[in-house]
Amino acid sequence: MGPYIVQRLLQSVFVIIGVTLLSFLTIHLDGDPTYLYVSERASQEEIEATRAKLGFDKPLTEQYFSFISGLMRGDLGMSIRSRQPAVDLVMQRLPATLELTLFAMLISTLVAIPIGIISAVRRGTPTDGGIMLVAMFGQSIPGFWLGIMLILSVGLQLKWLPISGHVPVIDLMLQGDWGQALSNIPKAITFLIMPAITIGLFSLSRNARLVRSSMLEVLSQDYVVTARSKGLSERVVIIKHAFRNALIPVVTMLGLEFGFLLSGVVVTETVFSWPGVGRLVTNAITQRDIPVVQASVVVFAVLFIGLNLIVDIIYAQLDPRIRLR
Amino acid sequence: MSRNPSRLGKLFLLTLLLVLIVPVIANAQTSDENTLVIAQSVDIGQLDPASVNSRSESNIFYHMYGTLFEIGDDGSITPYLASAYKVSEDGKEWTFTLNEGLTCHDGEALTAEDAAYSFERAADPANAFTGNTAGFVLPAVGYLGTRVDDELNVTILTDRYQSIGLGLLSEVYIHCKDSYSAMTLEEAAQNPIGSGPYKFVEWVPDDHVTLAKIDGFTLRETTFATQIWRVIPEASTRVAELIAGNVDVIGNVPPDQVEAVNGSGVASVQAVQGTRRIYVGFQFGENFKDAPGYDALQKTDVRVALQYAIDVPTICAALLGTECTRATGLVNDPNGNPNLQPYPYDPVKAGELLDAAGYPKDANGVRFETTLMGPRGRYLNDANVVQAIAQYLTDVGVVTTADIRDWADYRQLTGPKEVGPMFFLGSGGGTWNALYDMADLSAPDAGTNYTNWQNEEWFTLWNSLADIRDAGQEREVINKMLEVFYNDPPWLLLYFQPDFYGVSNRLDWQARRDEQIVIYNAKLK
Repeated sequence: MGPYIVQRLLQSVFVIIGVTLLSFLTIHLDGDPTYLYVSERASQEEIEATRAKLGFDKPLTEQYFSFISGLMRGDLGMSIRSRQPAVDLVMQRLPATLELTLFAMLISTLVAIPIGIISAVRRGTPTDGGIMLVAMFGQSIPGFWLGIMLILSVGLQLKWLPISGHVPVIDLMLQGDWGQALSNIPKAITFLIMPAITIGLFSLSRNARLVRSSMLEVLSQDYVVTARSKGLSERVVIIKHAFRNALIPVVTMLGLEFGFLLSGVVVTETVFSWPGVGRLVTNAITQRDIPVVQASVVVFAVLFIGLNLIVDIIYAQLDPRIRLR
Repeated sequence: MSRNPSRLGKLFLLTLLLVLIVPVIANAQTSDENTLVIAQSVDIGQLDPASVNSRSESNIFYHMYGTLFEIGDDGSITPYLASAYKVSEDGKEWTFTLNEGLTCHDGEALTAEDAAYSFERAADPANAFTGNTAGFVLPAVGYLGTRVDDELNVTILTDRYQSIGLGLLSEVYIHCKDSYSAMTLEEAAQNPIGSGPYKFVEWVPDDHVTLAKIDGFTLRETTFATQIWRVIPEASTRVAELIAGNVDVIGNVPPDQVEAVNGSGVASVQAVQGTRRIYVGFQFGENFKDAPGYDALQKTDVRVALQYAIDVPTICAALLGTECTRATGLVNDPNGNPNLQPYPYDPVKAGELLDAAGYPKDANGVRFETTLMGPRGRYLNDANVVQAIAQYLTDVGVVTTADIRDWADYRQLTGPKEVGPMFFLGSGGGTWNALYDMADLSAPDAGTNYTNWQNEEWFTLWNSLADIRDAGQEREVINKMLEVFYNDPPWLLLYFQPDFYGVSNRLDWQARRDEQIVIYNAKLK
């Protein structure tokens, strides 16, 4: 297990270096980045002074090492628009994005597993057909459209849920205000449901299909037939014998799932006025606030890579064949 | 053998219940009688009064900070923190007399020294402020410095007379010296200490800004104890929140949702003719001299002919959802030249003028080809308007390709004037003085002279205004300049952008033309 973890850690480090390199280069894609920091009316002297102050007059390699050095200290420069450290802006909004993505993962997993199992157990029945039809539908709907439809139907017409906005929980926990955080949870859930369904429906549908196909494969295995022939109840056969093994590919998907959901928040946070990193990135791109874009990319990448590393390690622990390959 | 996993079904139903039913404690976000909720599409970027960069910021700052004088919707300029002003004989010194007993929100007395500091801080190159005050107001008035005459009198020194100086200086937010000089720029960007009718309570980025009424602020009458400025970027979501009664005022209602708002019984749409000038610029800069159509568009006769090719009222009705009158120049009503009539839509005349200018149709019906650049996502239905204009021009034989870019990319090109041979753009204007609108073309190399227009007569007349004190004489020069603009148009004249505000029926409030949401005076019906 030790060598496997070291190997995966090394791979992760290389991926992170690649991400930082790409992220670093984005600020140079439009030419001299100094012009992003000065007003249109800046004199040549002001431009040169700013260039020297920000280090853009140095060779690219030197700038990159300076960027990495800053990254190690958690410093990815200042936002051009708000004059705040770019990393701080990302970290301020990260709790809201985590709430959304984690809740979406929770919904998609909790719903996908039972309907995937039901569909597999009732293979070929109208129930199976109906579930798979809905799953295909769920994978086909564009997120922004679904979000607006939910707002108009569930939020505006039925008035079941708030239309937009956010009630903080994780942020308060990080600040140590656990009392307020816990009391916010019921209300926070009401704000979370529609955006979480919007970004999670695709994953839910995909996972349901994955569970179904995985269950079908397992249910045809000899040991399941043996279990049934021993006279075990169908519930025990499905839950105790088949489901556990069918779950392995689903667990593998969870790490990737997180990255997929993170990419989905860019649109969903805009539709539901969710104050997360997705909106920060959208605005930063619109305003050419490159340090904020860089910081967001690096934070997302580190999160994604870190989570996948953990999933890989857990998976290798569950299935020793993985680390032997 | 049963294949009915009933417990799984129950688990599934329980999950559904948790997800959908339990939270039906729903929406308790409605506005109360003491709280006014306004939704904007864009968040503020910072909270420093010297660095206001966008309309969403100025809307909020307007309520937190006072100005020396205040520009009204009708163009009037009335006393605010200052009770009076006078201009020196040479027109280069503006002395303002502050009201007595003013304070900033931290309790510090607001005196002439603070007013002077507000200008000096904004102008200090070390602070590298951009935005309206440092980037527009101070250069436009020819700001040189300040002088504190006594506790209540402050003088702003300029390098030339500007008849619009009072209005321009009235755009500077006044703040207190002691509090701001004690803060770093980073701290000042997060901790506003105002001087206006509302004080800052909190800013949750990308979510909302909360302001609370200042008790005892007597210079303006205010009603609501709390203002919440929410950020709702998606137009459909803003409209839904308005109709649900969670928001009192929203901006930028899409034309296709006006009917839904008006039919809701909860809110209605106020359509106002805005002050933003929407036009197609003809590029005179040499960067485009090799571009197709550039040579033809340098000719005045061609540019005049093209004015007749565009059916502006139809564009407004079909694409903007409202009627509009075509602009005769770059100045908003009622400050334009009354003798000028909008160019009518007359494609036959456009063709005749193009023939006469030396651009007859060839065998394929083509006079010349060119490109019209335009943005997507900045102005009302901009991309569709650009395509419509390209089609109108093509119809008269000027085969025009619409080159539409996302606004983020497009605005990188407008600053350095790298748009052409024709480009679609909007420019904010005002109702209070023609010269404010005309200041876009204050010099051939002015940053806002995006077309690089070089008409000598225009700029000579502009410079002559510095020596004119008589309002009647000034008006004559203005009218003459607008005639020059009309007859040698650097713009394909279009319209003043209509603005659509959604307003709750519980509210007594009128939207302004200049895109500024001034709402301290709003009342419940």
